[in-house]
Amino acid sequence: MAIEKNYYTIDPQGKLRCFKCNVPLIKGKAKFMYLDNGFPVELPVCPACGFVYVPEELALGKVASVERALEDK
Amino acid sequence: MSQIQERGSTHVYKVNKISKEEMESMVARCVYEEPPFCCAACPLKLDVRGFLEAAASGNFKKALQLYEKIAPFPLILSAGCEAPCETKCRLNEVGEGVLISEVERAVARFGEQSRLGGVFRSKKRKSTAVLGSGLFALMLAGELEKKAYPVTVFCTQDSHESYLRECAPFLDDEAFAAELKRLRGKDIQFEFNCCIDAAFYEDKKASFDVLCASDDVRYELFPCAKTDVGLMFCEAQELVSGKTNGVLDSAFGAKKAALTVDRLAQGLDPRNTRGQEGPVDSRLYTDLSEAEVLKRVPCPEAGYSREQAAEEAGRCISCHCEECLKSCAYLKHYKKHPGLLAREIYNNTQIIMGDHQLNKPMNACSLCGQCTAVCPNGFDMARVCLMARRNMVSTDKMPLAPHEFALMDMLFSNGEAFLSRPQPGYEQCRYVFFPGCQAAAIAPETVKAAYSDLCSRMEGGVALILGCCGSIAGWAGRTQMAEQMHELLDNELARLGDPVIIAACPSCARELSSFGEHEVRGIWDILLELGLPEGAHALERPAALHDACGARGNEKTQQAIRTLARKLGCELVDTLYSGDRSPCCGYGGLTAYANREVASEMTEKCLERSDAPYISYCMACRDRFARQGRESRHILELCYGTDAGSPPDISEKRKNRLSLKNELLQEIWLEEPMENKLDYPLVFTDEARTMMDDRMILVEDVISVMDEFRTCGEAIEDEDGLLVARRRVGNATFWVKFSMADGGYVIHRAWSHRMKVVKREG
Repeated sequence: MAIEKNYYTIDPQGKLRCFKCNVPLIKGKAKFMYLDNGFPVELPVCPACGFVYVPEELALGKVASVERALEDK
Repeated sequence: MSQIQERGSTHVYKVNKISKEEMESMVARCVYEEPPFCCAACPLKLDVRGFLEAAASGNFKKALQLYEKIAPFPLILSAGCEAPCETKCRLNEVGEGVLISEVERAVARFGEQSRLGGVFRSKKRKSTAVLGSGLFALMLAGELEKKAYPVTVFCTQDSHESYLRECAPFLDDEAFAAELKRLRGKDIQFEFNCCIDAAFYEDKKASFDVLCASDDVRYELFPCAKTDVGLMFCEAQELVSGKTNGVLDSAFGAKKAALTVDRLAQGLDPRNTRGQEGPVDSRLYTDLSEAEVLKRVPCPEAGYSREQAAEEAGRCISCHCEECLKSCAYLKHYKKHPGLLAREIYNNTQIIMGDHQLNKPMNACSLCGQCTAVCPNGFDMARVCLMARRNMVSTDKMPLAPHEFALMDMLFSNGEAFLSRPQPGYEQCRYVFFPGCQAAAIAPETVKAAYSDLCSRMEGGVALILGCCGSIAGWAGRTQMAEQMHELLDNELARLGDPVIIAACPSCARELSSFGEHEVRGIWDILLELGLPEGAHALERPAALHDACGARGNEKTQQAIRTLARKLGCELVDTLYSGDRSPCCGYGGLTAYANREVASEMTEKCLERSDAPYISYCMACRDRFARQGRESRHILELCYGTDAGSPPDISEKRKNRLSLKNELLQEIWLEEPMENKLDYPLVFTDEARTMMDDRMILVEDVISVMDEFRTCGEAIEDEDGLLVARRRVGNATFWVKFSMADGGYVIHRAWSHRMKVVKREG
């Protein structure tokens, strides 16, 4: 599956905060998994509790298109 | 809430074979690729349709190109062709057929020659010779030259002129001059003034790879030799020759002979691999209902002018069978005739590794059977798509995503929202009312009114089952799941004393008749027997009646609805494609879930038939028409004087089913319903509500996320101060953007994805 390793990068610049831990999110390592396939990505993550954030435009854009491609495998 | 297992992996390398013979027999029903009757009648296989189209547009150059494919000497062929194509023209059945022969003559006269004589093409290595003159010999030399064989003609004549005059004495001066020019331009060597005898023959046999001869020469050399006119071959002498009669037969003979030369030059048996030669039968269907009855353009003795020929060619109706493509939005969307699409879908199921690019088309068919009704040969696209879906499910290659929402909806209908009760006062009933999942979701008040009416007017008790018939699982190709639904219903029906089922949906009626041994009747039949209930009324304006695809092939139901509509006082307007030919609204076959774009086109296709309000007898049709902005009523709404109003969104549909169940439990069976009341205020912005409906996110999904947030407090705060929480529910992760207000929440946005996301270490 030809997917760029870091196909989504985000620089939150402290704009997103973890509500529970009250700290800014940082660019962190995450992994998408679907139908027995895994893709390493970088996403906004809470450095304290590890909450991984999937923004709306990512979910409806790249994530949705990769889902569709995998579903038809 | 139950969950449906997602397919485990994309790494499934097995297929369940579908019988290729079975598929081919299904594909063979499509006659789209059959030749038109004129082409089929032509032994030379002229693309008459393309030829006339080019001529009609005034493109004589292209028309001549097509004609030259079958005729190395167009003026000779067009001057003497018997034109079997003309007698087969379908326009003869409604008026005068196209005068193809005269158009050919005009094209041969006026068409601009486009290619050089083949001088610059690389030649084949094997040499050929043609002995003698005559139409066959001339045309064979032309065919061999076209096939790039070095060809030499040996004749007794002394020049090109005398040779051509001998071959085609019927040409007028103008045509003769043109064909002489063409003959000279061709890469054919001539040896004139030859004395063709046995010694000459032996000499040429030694120096040429393949020898051909006119029948006269063959007779002089070998009077007793037998020739096979099918092959144009005299096997004993290895001489390509045969008797022909007339211009067309000579041209056809030359074609056959050239093929024989081809085989011999390659050292192959001339009998094999020849393909289909000569005229063939065609199974093409041509709709003549809209063909204009026009007379031929009168042809002057000197033949058509350019303009007259173009006008006459323009009368061709270009026979194509597009009956299904005309009526079906799905086939129109994919711009493919069903034979081709079926073959591609079949191939899709047989892919071991790689992309299943036809998954989308396979899941976009509404399985409604309209194509079978309109196709002159009964092509059944629904069978192809359903078979493919089942096949993909059986190998765990079917993606769940296109159908999951619908399947979950079915499980909801037959789970949380399911209700099965005998009429109070009865343990077992003579009847059971089965309104169907869509009626309960879209018009709960109508269901209530109908049940109450049936209970009050029917003898022997009327039980009620609120649930899904299992069609949804069947449409998704999930046979096992459908069987589970059938088993649930079978058990309930047995408990209620195997009552006669009164269905309010034609698709349910069909599905419920397909398993067990249940007697199923439509509520429309019952109402015709009982008479209209109080409050029944007509639509004030004339309305179009839309036949449900569930009632296709069921004329009794179609007629019962019409009778009922007339009794109501409705004035019905005629529409194209009604009865068995009615299109699907886009709900059938789960198209509305798997491919919304196609579903919407299907709805449009239904609505373009009339500007009037629509009356339907399937609640899904009523809903989809209303969603598209058309006044739309289910016939039961008219019978019971109810109005389901504007169409509910996906969450309201579920709420309606649940509320209907709870209200009936309270009002009729005096039972306290189990209701889950939310213990915090939850408000949705209009934008959120529209977005959720569009993205198939239920209010329940949002509640589930908010419950999780209330328990663990995990959320993101964005730059605008809004919070975003998430929760994995079933096979999807739902995200909700909200603000807090008055101890509750205002929902602003929601989205979801199916991929799981986890934090990665290292």
